[in-house]
Amino acid sequence: MKTYDVAIIGAGSIGTPLSFYLAQRGLQVVVLEELASIGRGQNRSAIGGIRATHSDPAKATICQRTIEIIKRMKIEHGFDVDWIAGGYLYPVYDDKNEDIFKKLIQFQRSLGLNIDWIGSTEIQQLAPGINPENLRGGSYSPEDGSASPLKVVDAYYQLARQRGVEFRFQEPVTGFKLDKAKIIKVVTSKSNYSCHWIINAAGASARQVGSLLSLDLPVFPDCHEGGITEPVRRFFEPMVVDVRPDSESSNYYFYQNIEGQVVFCITPEPKIVGTDCDNTSAFLPLVTKRMLGLYPRLRHLRVRRTWRGLYPMTPDGFPIVGFTPEITNLFLAVGMCGQGFMIGPGLGDIVAEILTNKDHQFHEILNQLSLYRNFSGQELLK
Amino acid sequence: MSRIDQHPILTVPSDRKLVRFTFNDIELEGYEGEPVSSSLIAQDYKEFAIHQRGDTPQGLFCANGQCSHCTLIIDGLPQKSCVTPLKAGMQIRTLRHIAEIPEDNRPLSRHSKKEMTCDVLVIGGGPSGLTAALELAKLNFKVFLVDDKEKLGGKLLLQTHKFFGSIEDCYAGTRGIEIAQKLESELRSCANVQIFTNTTVVAVYKDQKVGLFINNRNYATVAFRGLIVAPGAREKSLIFNGNHLPGVFGAGAFQTLVNRDLVKASQRVFIVGSGNVGLIAAYHALQAGITVVGICDILEKVSGYKVHADKIQRMGVPLYLKHTVIATEGHNKVERVTIAAVDDNFQPLLETAQTFLVDTLLIAVGLTPVDEFFEMANKFGFTVVKAGDADEIAEASSAMFGGRIAARRLANLLGKAVTIDPSFTQKAEILKSRPGRIFPPAPVSLDENFQPIIRCHEEIPCNPCTSVCPVNAIQLRGDRNDLMDLPFYRGGCTGCMQCVLICPGLAITLARKIDEHFAEVVLPHEFLPTFNVGKSLALTDLSGNFLEDGEILKIRYIKKFKTHLVHVKTTLKNASQVAGIRVQPATDSQPLPQAKFEYLPDNGIVCHCELVTVKEIRDFIREHNIRDINQLKLIRVGMGACGGKNCSTLLPRIFREAGIDINTIAPGTKRPLSVEIPMSAIANEESEV
Repeated sequence: MKTYDVAIIGAGSIGTPLSFYLAQRGLQVVVLEELASIGRGQNRSAIGGIRATHSDPAKATICQRTIEIIKRMKIEHGFDVDWIAGGYLYPVYDDKNEDIFKKLIQFQRSLGLNIDWIGSTEIQQLAPGINPENLRGGSYSPEDGSASPLKVVDAYYQLARQRGVEFRFQEPVTGFKLDKAKIIKVVTSKSNYSCHWIINAAGASARQVGSLLSLDLPVFPDCHEGGITEPVRRFFEPMVVDVRPDSESSNYYFYQNIEGQVVFCITPEPKIVGTDCDNTSAFLPLVTKRMLGLYPRLRHLRVRRTWRGLYPMTPDGFPIVGFTPEITNLFLAVGMCGQGFMIGPGLGDIVAEILTNKDHQFHEILNQLSLYRNFSGQELLK
Repeated sequence: MSRIDQHPILTVPSDRKLVRFTFNDIELEGYEGEPVSSSLIAQDYKEFAIHQRGDTPQGLFCANGQCSHCTLIIDGLPQKSCVTPLKAGMQIRTLRHIAEIPEDNRPLSRHSKKEMTCDVLVIGGGPSGLTAALELAKLNFKVFLVDDKEKLGGKLLLQTHKFFGSIEDCYAGTRGIEIAQKLESELRSCANVQIFTNTTVVAVYKDQKVGLFINNRNYATVAFRGLIVAPGAREKSLIFNGNHLPGVFGAGAFQTLVNRDLVKASQRVFIVGSGNVGLIAAYHALQAGITVVGICDILEKVSGYKVHADKIQRMGVPLYLKHTVIATEGHNKVERVTIAAVDDNFQPLLETAQTFLVDTLLIAVGLTPVDEFFEMANKFGFTVVKAGDADEIAEASSAMFGGRIAARRLANLLGKAVTIDPSFTQKAEILKSRPGRIFPPAPVSLDENFQPIIRCHEEIPCNPCTSVCPVNAIQLRGDRNDLMDLPFYRGGCTGCMQCVLICPGLAITLARKIDEHFAEVVLPHEFLPTFNVGKSLALTDLSGNFLEDGEILKIRYIKKFKTHLVHVKTTLKNASQVAGIRVQPATDSQPLPQAKFEYLPDNGIVCHCELVTVKEIRDFIREHNIRDINQLKLIRVGMGACGGKNCSTLLPRIFREAGIDINTIAPGTKRPLSVEIPMSAIANEESEV
């Protein structure tokens, strides 16, 4: 049996950066992944948005750290991950949303976030050609942006391997051996591992991994479809999020990546619960009419590819991060609710700090994201 | 202008309308409705786009809407020029790097969602799709047939030659273009069949629907009970330095330009690949008045039918076996090609290199099935059957049978009890057969009466000569008791010439003794005659060796077969050897006195969408611990417009070169859409479906 300090279950948006930050702090790490390579769970479906402007302090803190890291990825580690500080733009077309957003901005600013209400003219400069009719203005956070999920997860994979992290692909965890409240052996399809800490970072499979330990993790994936167009010369800067619902969907969002391709995604309403990642005929007509309604200039863009990914949702829309009293050496980093990509780098750094520094300063985050919180709250804005 | 004004087989339409358009502000004219790419190539403009990687020129490659190398800025928008019909006043520009979309801020005026329903959707209107649709129509299914081209027939439309096979089963002896017309008119007479041309299947969806891109501007979904997948094949690519240059075409693209669009796409062409596709492409080139400088194949034996290869050699085209292409070079387009012999490990022997001045290189190194729709439908558990090349690469003759069988299998799966005649399957299998044994020719002794001399020495599935003979003077030998048997002449020829006219390989001549010194030989000639009675012609033996000059005694044009019968006077001793007329002088196919090339095999492009070289991929695989094809996306392989459809067949070889067994590597994921479609079309903004 091989012995490590830490076994991470899942080589995705969460597990891969975390493995690097743990190794950087001197720990021996093995990453156990059921798929063939890094990021093949939901990282591959992430469209690439990264924002710190959440509506809760925990995610705001984590993602602020992500942005700091991603911004410096090239200088510090030599990896160009296509970071663009394009900002996040929520255009608003009605009184009700104007009111909601203005209140939210107040709160977000109180968290120290750089976000403000901007007028219609300014919005039309940021996204030339956006439908100006009844455009009230919107919320805009210039320090948010985007990067390539593919490149970020690969950068961490390479950095982690350089620091001795071992990755085991196509090796699903099949069971655990417990001694009282402690995992003494991780059993996979190919081998056994003895580790001081075991981290569940299994994304959409987090609940199944939990069930191997008789631990009921409230992580229930639902399905979202995304798409990408051909590349064209850049003509708008921010991630544009339209929160107005229609009869078949709630919000949708899109941005133009560094190649010039517009990447987009929509949240179906009602939710499609499950783990089916096959494309359906509903997506394209649904998202297209909404995107063209908001931004007619997109009409000439040709859609290149579509895909379906999962949001590993928790009942209140916030992640679950922390130790569990039931099993003393298990740490949870699950239920990222579709934001694993933007949470991953910051959270990895923070969790590594929590695990290696007794005097860490992240108790508030752990409280807020505890498995034992009251899940009845709802995120103000997803 | 490089247009084909007259053609021995094809009718050049007289009602085409010339319209004016501009290319990079230069005023040009082209035929309304023809693909923009054809209008430009007809005027020798071959450089369409400048790729952002290294400012690399790109031109047409597939002419089939499958790759995106022919993208141009047409009226302000990037569009694949091979599937965009020319209109009067079009403003066309080179695509430089990536396009800029117009500042079109008109609000979305309307949108609609079109949904249709049928019993069976047939994807592909080629030989197998057409016969499948017909069969299903006869079984009273409500059938939709979808094809991405303007005219039905698939590759049949490019086949100006007569078909092999048997007359009763698959129209042997008839030209592909005529078979397409027959099948289409039959299908159009079926009330329960709806035909969608200019319509591309973009996706098979989990909710048992297919997405259609219609007429370049609409989108619809179709729900179906059963699916026939018959979209044909795509051409394999080949890696060598310069393989991205404008002027490197897929053989199918070339046939499309020449035979469908009547564009003389080249003056001098070299062909790599001696399968039937390469051999036929050579023949089509010759018929269009294009010089075929040579054909090479890395194998030591011709891959296609021997009768085809013999025919091409008789016309004067050299065949280079155990040779491969090592470079195409030129300033922004193909100007020369260099080939070299290969050793037993298929490595080029550079000292044997020969360089030819050409403007075009055709890649005819095989086909791969377009089976992704089948794979997807199968994965989703739909009732689906594949047919034609999508099922297995074979001749169109077999595909027509395969279509019928697929239709009946699907009917059974849909709960309609129909029998499948076991002879159907047998025939389809036989028609698929690779060439068999080669036999030595039998000795011929001539007398005063005409007799056929049959130069069909290799077993292939073909027998129309036996069917057309009114006195049954030609029969199959009975070695195997099937269609593969060789034909032989058993006596009693009446000199009707039907066998000469019907033979798809042009492998039969008629000959008779005139006197003790001379003989008369009748040769089929599918070219516009450039000679008259009384003149002499260079006559060759079976495989193209010059025998003698023969005097023309008579020329008869047989309209039904679009073939000239040329009677020549030869010496008696050569008469039974005379097999063909050389149409291309040997001087046309000479290499440069000295080879002129740079040997840079690592520069060969694998991913043409993103211009990734073989070296970049090999190095990445070696250095990056690759376990999954999807990881190649980091160097953008598979991220381009085609979604890895074209480069995926090349990857196993590169993994092998990098020392990794591809079978240990997770496969790449294929996702919709199969082609890029504009958002305005998805919303049906411009018009109702």
